Amino acid sequence: MADEMEFGSSAGNTMGVELELQILNTRDFNLARDADDLLDLVEKTEHVGAVKPEITESMIEVNSSIHERHDTLLAELRGIRDAVSGAAQRLNLRVTGGGSHPFHKWTERRIYPTDRFKHLLDLYGYLAKQFTIFGQHIHLGCPSGDDALYLLHMLSRYVPHFIALSASSPFQQGEDTAYQSSRLNTVSAFPLSGQAPFVHAWGDFAAYFHKMRDLQIVESMKDFYWDIRPKPEYGTVEIRVLDTPLTVERAALLAAYAQALAHYFLSTRPREPLRDVYLFYSYNRFQACRYGLSGIIADAYTQQRVELKQDIVTMLSQLAPHAQELGSTAALEELTDLVRAQRTDAGWLRTVFAAHGTMNDVARLQSDLWMGRDAGVLPVNGNGA
Amino acid sequence: MPLSFLPTLPLPASPLVLFGVLLIAGHIGGELVYRITSLPRITGYVLVGMLLGASGLKLLTPELMGIANVFVDIALGLVLFELGRRLDFKWLRHDPWLLVTGLVESALSFGFVFFALAYFGVDPVYAAAAAAIGVATSPAIVLLVARELGAEGQITERTLALTAINSVISFVMVTMMLSWIHSQYRANWYTVFLHPVYLLLGSAALGFVANHIAKVLARWLRKHERHHFMLLLGLIIITVGCATVFKLSVVLALLAFGVMVRNLDERHDLMAVDMSQVEEMFFVVLFVVGGANLHISDLLAGSVLAAAFIIARFIGKSLGVLTLTWFSGVRRRHAALLCMGLVPMSGFAVTMMQSAMAEHPEFGSKLGSIVLAAVVVLELIGPLMIQFALRRAGESGVELPDGR
Repeated sequence: MADEMEFGSSAGNTMGVELELQILNTRDFNLARDADDLLDLVEKTEHVGAVKPEITESMIEVNSSIHERHDTLLAELRGIRDAVSGAAQRLNLRVTGGGSHPFHKWTERRIYPTDRFKHLLDLYGYLAKQFTIFGQHIHLGCPSGDDALYLLHMLSRYVPHFIALSASSPFQQGEDTAYQSSRLNTVSAFPLSGQAPFVHAWGDFAAYFHKMRDLQIVESMKDFYWDIRPKPEYGTVEIRVLDTPLTVERAALLAAYAQALAHYFLSTRPREPLRDVYLFYSYNRFQACRYGLSGIIADAYTQQRVELKQDIVTMLSQLAPHAQELGSTAALEELTDLVRAQRTDAGWLRTVFAAHGTMNDVARLQSDLWMGRDAGVLPVNGNGA
Repeated sequence: MPLSFLPTLPLPASPLVLFGVLLIAGHIGGELVYRITSLPRITGYVLVGMLLGASGLKLLTPELMGIANVFVDIALGLVLFELGRRLDFKWLRHDPWLLVTGLVESALSFGFVFFALAYFGVDPVYAAAAAAIGVATSPAIVLLVARELGAEGQITERTLALTAINSVISFVMVTMMLSWIHSQYRANWYTVFLHPVYLLLGSAALGFVANHIAKVLARWLRKHERHHFMLLLGLIIITVGCATVFKLSVVLALLAFGVMVRNLDERHDLMAVDMSQVEEMFFVVLFVVGGANLHISDLLAGSVLAAAFIIARFIGKSLGVLTLTWFSGVRRRHAALLCMGLVPMSGFAVTMMQSAMAEHPEFGSKLGSIVLAAVVVLELIGPLMIQFALRRAGESGVELPDGR
């Protein structure tokens, strides 16, 4: 079975996005259980790329195709959003982004009935149901497996950026968690979460994988719940730490940022992987989850402490020439403005809660925002906490 | 009289004792049925009612049933309010075929039942009245079974929506029918015209006022589950009372209230509070009383008509659902389950019609002889049908061994 670990090369500037979405009822805006019917109707009515089931019946996953430009990616994501929203409305359902549902109870969740998901419930018990959290995954194309590992180790330094920029899970089970992204705490509970091993040649990585598989620790790459993971069959590196943002617009901006980073690292190879990155990794990740843009991280390359907001703005300006080459200058400028103004999705959600007082209203308004309706309370990405 | 502080015989009937006894007897019956057969608990409530009522031990005398009426009214009010809250006009806008399905299945079931009864020689007036009653699916049965299963999903929601639609249609038809029947008994022309208008508009207005008060008070009380629970419960009971006082329809007024709470709350002032605990209490009493009203002897007397009624009603409803839900994107297998979900029927429409025609008792008893046999059957098999449909659709909240 060497085939499965053969790295399918892809162009260095390509990207693709997967978004896990929440399905809500329209009565109290709790999670619904209609993934099956929604998938069926979407497939019947429109052709919008891949729409798939996820681990519980309250989730679906939508995938973009492969893109080289931010604007085409955004257009496709908007198309998918509209198609899914339209189908949902016919079933009296709502769809929304956000990394967590503000008040659902995990005990009420039901596993989507496929063999794999039933196996996961069997294996992980209650963790499987608590895994009703919603992330954005960004795939970045790499010419070779060695490139993929290089890019993976480079991106590890920037994991806190993606956490802070996408954070949209301040609420869990009806409570304010005090985190900007509480979703990743749930991921951390899984035994195979964490980071890829510090290896640099694809052959070494494949050897690692085979060792794990021979010992029956994993069956496939899917069993690793790493923050960043190579995906050999696509020829990509997949960033998995992001919460699903509240809008497809932000999802596309974040993909453009990742694409520019990948282009910068793969085309200029500015530095070598550093083990210290992983020494500070958990601390930096926690800072981003807990404090978002205000978090302070330790930089392994400069051995300095730096505020995430400043670190992101610095990196974004450094990427300007690459953005120009990729046609995403406007996108990165927009992202810079959002960071400077401290506009985050988690902040928006907290502001809505403060203004309306119930989690039901939060869920309702976040789905208004996702489905492209006028949420009527605040400007998109409104300021807050 | 030195012992005048002692109670005198015969002891007076106490509504409180009655309520408590109905509650406990019903609950125990439901639990027994559930443990022994895993049938819906409702079936147990109805059986207990039959046991205590006219077909059984005759402990529930007509006098006691009269006392129980106030509980039945509250229970019906809660059911209809809950059903109204489930009817989302936005959904009907996004999926107009759902509304069309509701209209067509109602029309077809009316037509089929009317002609079937007429074929068996029933007088057209009675055939029409019976058919109008048969249009409605029992909201209480559907709601209660769905809740017992913790069911959620398209079949659950669509069954409830169609039930809401066919209940409104049935009620409007029954009201119009009443005026037509009044004209048969040579009532004044203005009674014929004004009575249904008064019932419809008056009940809607009552619901509107209740909704308005709910919104104003909710804004003042602020958003808290406990506040809204008390507020809605109080208003529901007041609305039931007012409907009785103003000789309006409890059913229609509370349905209007529920629909308006869901659809005329632009600012989202009202929370979708869960009132199931209180509701369940009244629902048990509702079904025990419903069971006590059933007469086994009706079943034997009217078996042919009952069969005609049940089959014609099922065909009419199914024809409408099977042909039209396809346009809503409902899968064919699921459409069949939806047809089963619409089967339940309960006797309260008949009771209401009889009481509305109280001044013409011979009408009531003749109508009863036509439909009550069918009611006995549908009140007993209805819960089984909806339970089967929701389980088979995979919408039960209880995970079965195969994961569905």
